[in-house]
Amino acid sequence: MDFIVAGFIKAFELLISGDSSTWTAVWATLKVSTCSMLLSIGAGLPCGFLLGYFDFKGKKHLRTILDTMLALPTVFIGLAVYAFISHQGPLGEFGLLFTLTGIAIGQTILAFPIVAALTASTIESIDHDLKLTLVTLGAGKRNIITTCLWEVRFGILAAAVTAYGRVLTEVGISMMVGGNIKYHTRTITTAIALETNKGLFADGIALGLVLIMIAFIVNLSLSFLRKQ
Amino acid sequence: MNKRKIFTSILTIVFTMILAISVQAGSKGLMMATTTSTDNTGLLDYLIPHFEKQTNISLKWTATGTGKALKLGQNCDVDVLLVHAPPAEKKYIANGYGKDRREVMYNDFVIIGPENDPAGIKGKSISDALSAVKNEQAVFMSRGDDSGTNKKEKLLWKNAGIQLPDKEKWYVQTGQGMLATINVAQERNGYTMTDRGTYIKYQSQKDGNAPLKILVEGDSILLNQYSVLTLDPKNCANAKYDLALKFSDWMASQNAQNLIKDFRLLGQKLFIPNAK
Amino acid sequence: MTQTDLAYHLKNIQHYYENTKVLDIDDLKIRKGSITGLLGPNGSGKSTLLKLLAFAQKPTMGSIFYNGRIEFPFSPTVRSKVTLLTQKPYLLKRIVFENIAYGLKIRKETKFLEDQVKKALLTVGLDYQNFAARKWHELSGGEAQRVAMAARLILKPEVLLLDEPIASVDTESAKLIRKASLKARDNWGATLVIASHDLQWLYSISDKQLSIFKGNIFSTGMENIITGPFVKTDEKSLVKKLGDGQIITLKAPTQEVCTAVIRKKNISIALERQPAGGVDNQLSGHIISMLLEKKNGQIMATISINDLSLILRLSPDQISHLDLYPGKKVILQFHSNDVEWI
Repeated sequence: MDFIVAGFIKAFELLISGDSSTWTAVWATLKVSTCSMLLSIGAGLPCGFLLGYFDFKGKKHLRTILDTMLALPTVFIGLAVYAFISHQGPLGEFGLLFTLTGIAIGQTILAFPIVAALTASTIESIDHDLKLTLVTLGAGKRNIITTCLWEVRFGILAAAVTAYGRVLTEVGISMMVGGNIKYHTRTITTAIALETNKGLFADGIALGLVLIMIAFIVNLSLSFLRKQ
Repeated sequence: MNKRKIFTSILTIVFTMILAISVQAGSKGLMMATTTSTDNTGLLDYLIPHFEKQTNISLKWTATGTGKALKLGQNCDVDVLLVHAPPAEKKYIANGYGKDRREVMYNDFVIIGPENDPAGIKGKSISDALSAVKNEQAVFMSRGDDSGTNKKEKLLWKNAGIQLPDKEKWYVQTGQGMLATINVAQERNGYTMTDRGTYIKYQSQKDGNAPLKILVEGDSILLNQYSVLTLDPKNCANAKYDLALKFSDWMASQNAQNLIKDFRLLGQKLFIPNAK
Repeated sequence: MTQTDLAYHLKNIQHYYENTKVLDIDDLKIRKGSITGLLGPNGSGKSTLLKLLAFAQKPTMGSIFYNGRIEFPFSPTVRSKVTLLTQKPYLLKRIVFENIAYGLKIRKETKFLEDQVKKALLTVGLDYQNFAARKWHELSGGEAQRVAMAARLILKPEVLLLDEPIASVDTESAKLIRKASLKARDNWGATLVIASHDLQWLYSISDKQLSIFKGNIFSTGMENIITGPFVKTDEKSLVKKLGDGQIITLKAPTQEVCTAVIRKKNISIALERQPAGGVDNQLSGHIISMLLEKKNGQIMATISINDLSLILRLSPDQISHLDLYPGKKVILQFHSNDVEWI
């Protein structure tokens, strides 16, 4: 049991002492997860919007595919991305393996269905009266779309937070694609996996606490934004 | 407006991050795939800064099982390998994936188990010890991950004339790294085979009071040879063959060999240099 | 009436939801600056008609002329001129000020915005100081409806369509909304179409009443609807049995339909039954309400006959002659041939 207590102490030691391997892992985690969250919002928001706003043939099937993608295990995404960006793979020439960019690609694939599905649901949940109200107030098609998006901003924010939480905590993709290279692609989660493998449970717990702190800060600042 | 300020600052942070990522993607240098034992023991953290300083070549590594390391090389995703599975390595070169194989150091494997030794293997030869484990159906942990260590262990069963007890209840395959496997063995009160380096690391974490003790050691078959492998440029044109060769040369140099000899974990030697 | 007198002219409108016909209007004219009351039970097609008039939807078939030109949803010539307030309007998740200013902002008419919002709020009895900065969820139902009304009045629309605007608000809000809607016509000559269950209000404010039943429009105002089940007595007629044993006889329809309409002009009122041989329907009931119609000084009387209520229009002379008042027992008479089937 003492390694749990030791973990707490260690967490503060690592952060306060400015331990470079810890801080580079924290920084790498932040960079890569922020990047992949933004990419997934960039791709997922329009797709989710189209899916939630318009009715078209085959929409149901697309939703089913999207919902299935929600269940994709990270190790599978990691493997698939590896297969593509490996030097033997179709995107091998770009040298993305063992880079944060590679991880970001994988995490974007992980987060995209979350953002798209949640956005689609939020858009679908828009009060039917909203569109009618906007039309009767003289809004054009573009006004309607932007106003609708602004109306569901909290839902979209929630989608982003969910996606961020997912990419922040995933380990399969970071490990498979990033290779857990110290000072480069080692993220907090792969570092935890490593420390656990080394039997250094206290260090693993310390890093876990750091991760929770980051998640906490992110959520806190978002709820602050929401109040604004 | 306050809101706008917050928004701009968030945007700035985000763009910095994206920039940081794209810069990072272009970095040049040698990429190595190696086994968990060299990484987990801290050998590479100790050795590589010397290499980088002396040759001005930057080197990054990813630590995984030997099986995956070889695969990464076969797919040209790395430039050089530091692995420990001689038969597989030789086959690898024969298949045209690897080019030069240079033996650089070794450590040895030991069989560890609980102090009360339920199968009574202490002091026995490795083959007798494994037979005893089998007869007593004592719990035995295997990595089961096709790593160098796992390959070695399978070889030991074969040498003892025992068919791999793959499906036996007492034969537990963890699918995890060495230290994790030792920890599982400790929880289950079982035997396992490990490289000495990892065992020392394990021992140190238990403050010299480790529940699992070394029971079988010293057999010549238990030697664990590490080699540097370069990739065959015919298979991997993109791999940095010249730099890989430099690394291989450096590892075999007197300088590096001395460094390896001096590397100690908790006062104990881990690797014995043996480059020819 | 020349073309330019007309705000709306609907021709051969048919509207379907999925495969159900919800609206069927051959010809409907609405004069500029007029106030039209829209009557009819829930689900009769009132809201659909208002949405079509608001150009929020396109009719499945037919055309809507606005100011003499065929117009469509999102057409720039109508988009900023016609507005609709529904029973449960949607407030944007913003403060009251932004909700009211929204329409002007998208029109990019932001001069004197604050003054205009102030004025609009005042029209619906809300003061700027107290309400402008409130969030959408900090309003009562009645206040929210008044904010929504203000958001429309600020646009000075040519046409103001109101769909049950006071059905779910408190009496004070209802009073203010009624007052504000009249101002729209009086101050800038807006054309109003109002659907409401508040008959007193409708009869007192509107120049003309339309009633809708099952998507059919009666430009003579409210008419009497008799729904089934009917029992077939012979080839030529059907009867409907009322709960108290009275029987209504109706000429059988030529096609497969199930709702009968008896226009109020075909019903006459008496105090005593006529001897047999004249009209074939004589029903006894009680007057339950009498409302004055502002426009023509006539009185709209509602007579309850067991579980059925029928209306007819009476002149003040008739009322004094027969000494009619709510609660009085009367006999309604109409001929079975005067039925219309829809």
